[in-house]
Amino acid sequence: MSCRTWLSSCRQHGRAASARCRTLATEAAPAQSTSASPPSSVPRPKKPPRAILRTAVILNRAPILTRTPTLFERAYYAYQARLQRALHNPFPYEFYFKPGSLLESKFNLEERRRDRKAFGPGFGADSPDAPGAGVTADDLKKFGQEEEDNTVSRVHASDLNNDVQSLDRKGQRNLYLLLRRREGAEDAWKFPEGPAEQGELLHKAAERDLRSTCGEGMDTWIVSRKPIGLYETRSSVPPTDPTKPPKTCVFFFKAHILAGQVQPLNEAVLDFAWLTKEEIQTRVGEQYWDGVKDMLSGF
Amino acid sequence: MCSSIFTARHAQFPLRIAQTSVRHAGRREGSADPVKEILRRTLYPPNVRNKPTPTGTWRPDVSRALQRAVPSKQAHETIERAWLLHLRHVRRKREAELAMKYECMRRAMDELEKIDPHLFREANRPEDPRVRSQEEVAMAKTLRGVERKALEARPPGLFPRELRVPTDTPSRDGWKYEWKPIVRPSAS
Repeated sequence: MSCRTWLSSCRQHGRAASARCRTLATEAAPAQSTSASPPSSVPRPKKPPRAILRTAVILNRAPILTRTPTLFERAYYAYQARLQRALHNPFPYEFYFKPGSLLESKFNLEERRRDRKAFGPGFGADSPDAPGAGVTADDLKKFGQEEEDNTVSRVHASDLNNDVQSLDRKGQRNLYLLLRRREGAEDAWKFPEGPAEQGELLHKAAERDLRSTCGEGMDTWIVSRKPIGLYETRSSVPPTDPTKPPKTCVFFFKAHILAGQVQPLNEAVLDFAWLTKEEIQTRVGEQYWDGVKDMLSGF
Repeated sequence: MCSSIFTARHAQFPLRIAQTSVRHAGRREGSADPVKEILRRTLYPPNVRNKPTPTGTWRPDVSRALQRAVPSKQAHETIERAWLLHLRHVRRKREAELAMKYECMRRAMDELEKIDPHLFREANRPEDPRVRSQEEVAMAKTLRGVERKALEARPPGLFPRELRVPTDTPSRDGWKYEWKPIVRPSAS
């Protein structure tokens, strides 16, 4: 009873009660709170930053098309379809097709063809049990029953002429944005990256940097506040200045592009490309690839 | 031949036959509406106890069709095992890739904790799509129409609607290259 009243009083008083509950539960809590507040008059010496922080974005165009099934998968699906055709429970044909209608005749014709294709000679039109089609294929053509195939091809023009800037290329694969940047004397292919300002949250820094580098013409969505990976570089010469951090950490964030295209604003960005994982490996430096390859999707 | 032996017994001890009345589609005769008849036959198939399947018959040439479809019992089992093996390969590959990605993420978060605890805490904060910051509320009051929709369109922590499911064939218009941003106020 007393426990229940204590809990209800906690709920009523809200925040204050939660602090009270915490002090009731743990004794270490007050000690921590006092240590956090700076009571001393002497300013504490600032610790040197452990690393220079940079953020990068792995901008992914998700697959547009479903994967093509392998030969084995196609064969297995065909086998299962034949089994289903042999064993399925009766289908209420008279419910879906009005007896004597043209649609029923068309369906019967197609069903006989499918039976013949599935089971071979002796089935379909040859079988004594097959439903008789009232009309022939020529009659159906006369009535204009042939359906046109209105679908678009899975292979896009950019696949054929290998346009790496196109977002329609390789519809089944995951494409990632790579920028060619001038760094000092040479230029390198890298994911879009930039410095993170002091006190700025990392995912916000990544978003800001992406927009400033690649323009406002892209509808992007950064998936999470958490980075998905880290690439560390240490300067080869140990810094003489003790306040300068020895290493640079680049935190990667995953993002999706939903619409639009890259419009580079910076002159430092020479070129961009939307590439699959293997294509990235051919363009990017070896050390960078080792650091980055585990974050990318293989297909 | 044997029936003569049994008939006397049957006369003395009649077999108990289940007398439950069974709904039989063929019972209603002379019903006016053929559509209703078709519906009834579809929804409640004829109750056949002497047929192999409980819901109805097989196709008339089922044994012949099955012989054509299935090469042999061993072949069927081999096909099934090969498929399960294939699925296992696909699953293992997918799980390995996910494990690598997770390991990358874990290492990055460990490093971030060492480098900057404040940023680490902020990265771990869960995003509630229902929560609105103060400036968002103020901004929402000034906006109207399309801009208001843009403000409410992307709740943090939820997937955007524009993220499409892969299809078998691409859309007729292809990728939307001309996309103009609506002024989206930055949410904290």
